[in-house]
Amino acid sequence: MDLDTFRTQLDAWLDEHASELRPSAQANTLDDHLAHVSKVKRLAFDAGWMRWGWPEQVGGLGGSSILRAYLGEAVTARGFADPGGWSMTEVLVPTMIDFAPPELAAKMVPLQLRGDETWCQGFSEPGTGSNLAALQCRAVAVEDGWRVTGQKLWTSYAQYAQRCVLLTRTGAPDSAHRGITALFVDMGSPGITIRPLQTMNGRAEFSEVFFDAVYVPGDRLLGQVNQGWAIAMDLLPYERSTSLWHRGAFLHRRLSEMLDSVDPGALSPEAVGEAAQLLFAFRARSRATQHRLASGGQLGPETSIDKVLLATTEQAVFDLVFDGLSEQVLIGDDVSSEEWRADFLYSRAATIYGGSSEIQRNIIARRLLDLGPDR
Amino acid sequence: MMDAEDRQLFEEALTKITTSSSGAALDAALADLGWAEALDEDRPTAVALLFELQGTANATSCALDVVLAHALGAGVAAPMFLLPQFGTYEMPAVTADGRVTGRGVARSGDGDLVVVAGNAAVTVPSSAVTVRPISGMDPDLGLAEISVDVSTDAVKPLAASVDWPSVVALGRLAIAHEIVGACRAMLSLAREHALEREQFDRPISQFQAIRHRLAESLVAIEAADSALAAAWQDGSTSSARYAKAIAGSSARTVARHAQQVLAGMGYTTEHPFHRYLRRVLVLDQLLGDSRILTREIGAELLRARTLPPMLPL
Repeated sequence: MDLDTFRTQLDAWLDEHASELRPSAQANTLDDHLAHVSKVKRLAFDAGWMRWGWPEQVGGLGGSSILRAYLGEAVTARGFADPGGWSMTEVLVPTMIDFAPPELAAKMVPLQLRGDETWCQGFSEPGTGSNLAALQCRAVAVEDGWRVTGQKLWTSYAQYAQRCVLLTRTGAPDSAHRGITALFVDMGSPGITIRPLQTMNGRAEFSEVFFDAVYVPGDRLLGQVNQGWAIAMDLLPYERSTSLWHRGAFLHRRLSEMLDSVDPGALSPEAVGEAAQLLFAFRARSRATQHRLASGGQLGPETSIDKVLLATTEQAVFDLVFDGLSEQVLIGDDVSSEEWRADFLYSRAATIYGGSSEIQRNIIARRLLDLGPDR
Repeated sequence: MMDAEDRQLFEEALTKITTSSSGAALDAALADLGWAEALDEDRPTAVALLFELQGTANATSCALDVVLAHALGAGVAAPMFLLPQFGTYEMPAVTADGRVTGRGVARSGDGDLVVVAGNAAVTVPSSAVTVRPISGMDPDLGLAEISVDVSTDAVKPLAASVDWPSVVALGRLAIAHEIVGACRAMLSLAREHALEREQFDRPISQFQAIRHRLAESLVAIEAADSALAAAWQDGSTSSARYAKAIAGSSARTVARHAQQVLAGMGYTTEHPFHRYLRRVLVLDQLLGDSRILTREIGAELLRARTLPPMLPL
């Protein structure tokens, strides 16, 4: 399956099934968004689209990862799926394929691709935001498995998730990146408590997750014991590649929708031109990343540039929305205004989520500019 | 098209000549190397490599004139091409009442001048051209203000039909590559200085304030570089305009950060930084500066009330 054929056939399918795939205009809670993402995944899986770009051993149909990049773009650009919920697949499934025992990946990945399950990523902790290697959530080896005790924070979609890719401390408390182990945890396990965080955009995407002596079977080990850092380093570039391409498609759609409804006199052409240029540069950069990934290239620290560009673009687009549609953003109480307000407020976090812009610049300085250690 | 090995050899050869010669000597070296023939064979590679390296080396040549003549479909040896006045990109001349008249800028030289007027391109003998050499911000660039007023009987036809927007687009890509090359040089100078310069008993490269400025510079450069690659692939005049605008604004970002990191040293003419600052400020003005292009892009989007599809996968 080549990209052009895939694009033509998928576009036709999306047009044909638009009425089923389009979310209800009134359904704008996070519950609605997540439920709809699952529905679109299921429809796309059953029609085959969701299976392209994934290997056959995990329920895929094979083919290039560029097909996944296009699928996510196509559904996001049409407003059929929220990019955040959609892209969790892109963040977590590559890691499962690379590090889970093959039989576990073969059993679990199709559940994720078909939208039967939502998964989450248990990385950050109260004392561990940017400094991921200092995480303290402890896993102790017991007979046939592990007992996990500790707390995670900023876990996206935890309250919807059936599974979690969890980073735990298995070495000494000060073992840093050398003593981390990754586990694939059932979120229904006894001892897990989830407390969604109320955030300023009104959507409780992030949660605190508490683990109280949670038993995890031994066959849920991802990679090797104390090799969890390698898994995190493998996963984070995925978080900054295909999922950012999808987010770029979302920004394109929202900027276009803003242009359609704004009073042309409300915005300076310079500001509009600047935001469009940022989006152009981001898409150019991210497109090259998608093609590099598709041709078998290893993603690494250079994806930090993609993340800095995305964050800059997202804030520029929604600064423009704020200026152009200030009445909706500030005092509108209809559904469309609530969406603009929620997206504007969420954009304030673009330089924070998924590795802050400061951390990305540290990575760029150290790994790409070879400036040596910073202390 | 060049394969990877040819490309590498070509790049090595271009690196050698751009770092060791400039002006007429570089023109001669480019002729020896067969750069104009490479332009026929693989235009994106020939333009991207040479202009970026020329920018990095702060060298000058007649390559922009050759590229623009090439866009007219006319091979002219060492041409001088009449560019629009600073900041603008409208066709620099008109033909009316039996005369070709126009104003613009071109590199200083004594050859015939290539002038696009109306739908046609002609060469104008140097005797019919008034030249004011420009010293200004970047004397090394060797530009001149040009005015032309000549009878159509005295000019030689060069191309009967000219698609001016596509000529402008190609020129913008070349200039943007040169700007990116100059930006890479500015970042490299600032990086070396940060690693060598010690204050408070350590290299200033260890201070996060310095590291983040250098990181931001690299982000700006890679944004412009990606935009250029996408514009070549896309092939539209719209993408070339984006790429030129992005290169110009990236240059401002890089120059600001690099100069701050270089501090006092970068303010002296003993240090080469100033040559790059001068070069990018002037290059940005050729064929539409970043501010004008940005405003145009925004105004068109506000009129269209939609954002057209952008860079498909």
